Amino acid sequence: MKRLIMILAMLASPAMAQDFSEGSEAKTWNLYGESPARFEAKVVDILCEMTGDCAADCGGGTRQLGLLRKADAVLVFPNKNAQAAFTGAALELAPFCGKEVEVDGLLITDADLGAMNVYLVQKIRTLGDAEWTAANRWTKEWAKANPEAKGKGPWFRRDPRIKAQIAAHGYTGTGAEAEKPFIQDWFE
Amino acid sequence: MRIIAMSLCLLVSGAFGAQASEGERIQIKGEIIDTWCYYSGVMGGPEAVTGSAHHTCALWCSAGGIPVGLLAEDGTVYMVLKIEGDANSAGGDTQLNLASHEITADGMLYQRDGLNYLVVEKVVTDHGITNLNHEDYGPIPGFAIPDPTQ
Repeated sequence: MKRLIMILAMLASPAMAQDFSEGSEAKTWNLYGESPARFEAKVVDILCEMTGDCAADCGGGTRQLGLLRKADAVLVFPNKNAQAAFTGAALELAPFCGKEVEVDGLLITDADLGAMNVYLVQKIRTLGDAEWTAANRWTKEWAKANPEAKGKGPWFRRDPRIKAQIAAHGYTGTGAEAEKPFIQDWFE
Repeated sequence: MRIIAMSLCLLVSGAFGAQASEGERIQIKGEIIDTWCYYSGVMGGPEAVTGSAHHTCALWCSAGGIPVGLLAEDGTVYMVLKIEGDANSAGGDTQLNLASHEITADGMLYQRDGLNYLVVEKVVTDHGITNLNHEDYGPIPGFAIPDPTQ
């Protein structure tokens, strides 16, 4: 029944009937439910938008940011930036807080899972600007913030907070000792 | 039934595309998940991107600033904007410490354009990691656990 309701909701939403693929140069990620989408929007702090609990500069990348789409006033939620590195979009959008922008990327729609107006942002530019900014700064910003974690391998293998979590609770969260037999068995 | 009622309410009121709705106080039990892997299917079906099988990836995504969600027992996902006063929803410590945990949360629900947004005022109970599915699925993604023999 929940799926039926979600599908009805999607059909009833005029926003979903719109196609934002015109002019998009978004690269495919070959995801189920992806569709290229290029549109104009205002960058907003979602918590502020919902509750009135606002922060200076939209939190400077610490809060989730949304895209209030100009064409239909739909709030699009960018979950992901352009890097294939387990990285979000807030840091990419933060410099554009409160600005009117144009974005290009992939909308993710999956009624079965409740995914509506979920977005992967690939590039951004302030309205009127000719140059795009690629939404791939996250790992560089992480490196600046974590100079002590410099080394080989991807950021998520070197991040001090993640390493501390794994040291304390293991890779499965069940405890390093408790998961030892599983890991030994898995790699046999 | 609550979801049906709320969805019908949205349809009737034409709230999709409208301004933010009023918050509703709710209490929900569910798992703190990483929403990108769940919604995008990038690593497979929804059962595989939850629980202990996906715990390391959930840490990576939470620390990486991907939004966390609360996956309720009925399958509804609530995008978490704040937890007990911590509004650092893009990589914050509070949500990182709760990755893959099942919690009972008391807070305010907001709905907009097909998504549910949750401001957790109190984690009533932290049940810990209860979805022990790593034996069934192995680590998701497969490289989440480094090969100790390498």
